[in-house]
Amino acid sequence: MNKVFTDGLSFALPLLIMAVGALYSEKSGVTNLAIEGFQGVGAFFGALAATLLAPLMGNGNQMIIYIAILCAAVGGALFSCIHGLLCIRFRANQVISGVVINILSVALTAFFTSAANTAINGTASNKFVLDVSARFSIPLLSQIPWIGGLFTNMYPFEIIIIVLVIILWYLLNRTRFGMRLRACGENPQAVDAAGANVIRIRWTAVMISGALSGIGGICFAYSLIGNFSPSIYQGFGYLAIAAMIFGNWSIGPTTLACLVFGLAKSGGLQLCIAAGLPSNYTDLFLMLPYVLTLLLLVFFSKKNHPPKAAGEPWDKSKR
Amino acid sequence: MKKKNIFLARRLTGRYASLWVSVIAILLTIVTASILLLIMGKNPLTAFASFLQGCGFLAKENYGGGSGQLTDMLDFLNYLTPLILASLAFITAFKAGLFNIGISGQMLLAGFTATVLVGYNKALSPFIAKPLVLLIGLIVGGLTGVLVGYLKYRFNIHEVVSTIMINYIISYLTGFFINNYHVDMMTRNSKVCTPEARLTLTNVMIGDMKCKIPLGLIIAILIALLVSFLFRKTVLGFEIKAVGQNRRCSEYSGIRVSRTILISMGLSGAIAGLAGVAYYLGYTNTIIPKSLPSMGYDSISVALLGSGSPIGSIFAAAVVSVFQQGSNYMSSSLGVAKEIASLITGILLLFASCGNYMKYLAGRTMQQTSEIASQGSSRTAPASPESKEAKTK
Repeated sequence: MNKVFTDGLSFALPLLIMAVGALYSEKSGVTNLAIEGFQGVGAFFGALAATLLAPLMGNGNQMIIYIAILCAAVGGALFSCIHGLLCIRFRANQVISGVVINILSVALTAFFTSAANTAINGTASNKFVLDVSARFSIPLLSQIPWIGGLFTNMYPFEIIIIVLVIILWYLLNRTRFGMRLRACGENPQAVDAAGANVIRIRWTAVMISGALSGIGGICFAYSLIGNFSPSIYQGFGYLAIAAMIFGNWSIGPTTLACLVFGLAKSGGLQLCIAAGLPSNYTDLFLMLPYVLTLLLLVFFSKKNHPPKAAGEPWDKSKR
Repeated sequence: MKKKNIFLARRLTGRYASLWVSVIAILLTIVTASILLLIMGKNPLTAFASFLQGCGFLAKENYGGGSGQLTDMLDFLNYLTPLILASLAFITAFKAGLFNIGISGQMLLAGFTATVLVGYNKALSPFIAKPLVLLIGLIVGGLTGVLVGYLKYRFNIHEVVSTIMINYIISYLTGFFINNYHVDMMTRNSKVCTPEARLTLTNVMIGDMKCKIPLGLIIAILIALLVSFLFRKTVLGFEIKAVGQNRRCSEYSGIRVSRTILISMGLSGAIAGLAGVAYYLGYTNTIIPKSLPSMGYDSISVALLGSGSPIGSIFAAAVVSVFQQGSNYMSSSLGVAKEIASLITGILLLFASCGNYMKYLAGRTMQQTSEIASQGSSRTAPASPESKEAKTK
């Protein structure tokens, strides 16, 4: 039971930070299906930094993880510029642009991972092996019956993500920048008339979403998989987008949606183990989050309010 | 420099604008790929030549026994067949404004069903088995497509999200069945299907060369012509295009939008199902469990490169196939990682998606030149070819 909560939270929080990234971009009026690509490329940069730094700083040095997270954020933000360029500058179809970036990122990371591995240690392997992240339990809270599992064996990045999400919530809902960002997704003409720069706000939003997705990606690489390889592309980015839609484009409900996904995933797996089924059957239980997403979307998509101007390139001459 | 700009702009605003966008995208991609290859210290010219050699367009230096240029060429066509079909599947949904990202999943499910139902049945004669495979592909793919369409109009679920979810569900589900019931212990893939059911004739001797003949190619070209006919000449095709361009407007003018979405997604899924059987019962003959075919995503680049034209997609598919199929030979002869093929496809996609911007820039250049011309001499301006073409655009 404890393991369900522990694993569920370590899956839900990276998902949440990606969902918040998608939310920032969509709230500013740029449809963002490129989350999947951003997280992969972000994780690539983080893992590359970790691989390069490991011999210098000593294996098992926990500082590497924080540097990797930082690099992943920067890498994700840089890569998201392609999406910004296509959607904001070149006025391409935003859905196409997102899909294009996802395809491009799979190819880019696969190619450069083997290229970097050849350069570093001479083997054309397609993955970077990462150190194991240290885990800790919060002393008193982890003793609580039933939900104590939420606070045991936590990854350090989980705290970072929780703090970040609170800051991001404040930024979006309580500051002038956040208000303008939200207005850009509803009525960019009004923002322009009020004297703010729509283009700049949208660029900022897209880059924030790239950075956040990058963080989500490297956290997945550290927690779930333990290395960086093409298996990072498992559709988590799309799951995050589904969580955002399910959370009706606001951070609170999105958090809840992510928790539901996380618990469904870990719960399914533990159920499989508890029922004593052979390992072949795990495939069926790994399917659960995706089935659950579809079912939840069936019930919650109907009365959604997506940002009004999302998906439309901004044209100053229109009204 | 200025003159060249006008030359390009005139092409990009003219009648064959879409064709020129594709040509420019391909040229830009070749330039980018060449720069990449130069950085890696390889000669781009030999690299591109070896791409073509790997596909049988150019002769290799030496061939193994029983193979020749024709073998490579037919292998290339064998890969091309499902890619044409997959891109047609994408186009059919794309015309209705729907992004069918689920082509991979639809291919996998159709291929899996056909393999299990027909491919493992040794009693059937080839004349029954092959049409049956096609029929199963059509029905299974079509039903999956209809499901996506239904989720779209009834529950307002964005088709990109729903198709991705369905992709993973299909991938895990088929993976489960293959791993438990149909696995080949040696390869860890599914067992191969019988030659009676396979859509590619193998080991055909042409001269002294052992060749594979893709029967599906005829079907692929036929479907391309049919899709072209659908969108040019029929009411249904017109309705699909109308819904794709303005859903509300077509609703007010009496088109049943929900029905049109269902039909176009169903058609798209059915063609994707055909692509699936052509891929799994033709090209590979086996299914790797829990892996979606990358062809489903390549088909998007093909459709974009062909700017949504069914006939154009045949040629665009050939361009993408050259990179994908030729990469094996290229990587073995030059020592560049095989992944460069996907990278080149990705870059191609990037440039192709800027097509509208290219056209917009060209239109603006044309306008500026005609303005300059009219300022210079107001009498001759309307007769100048630039302004005429700008107006027809």
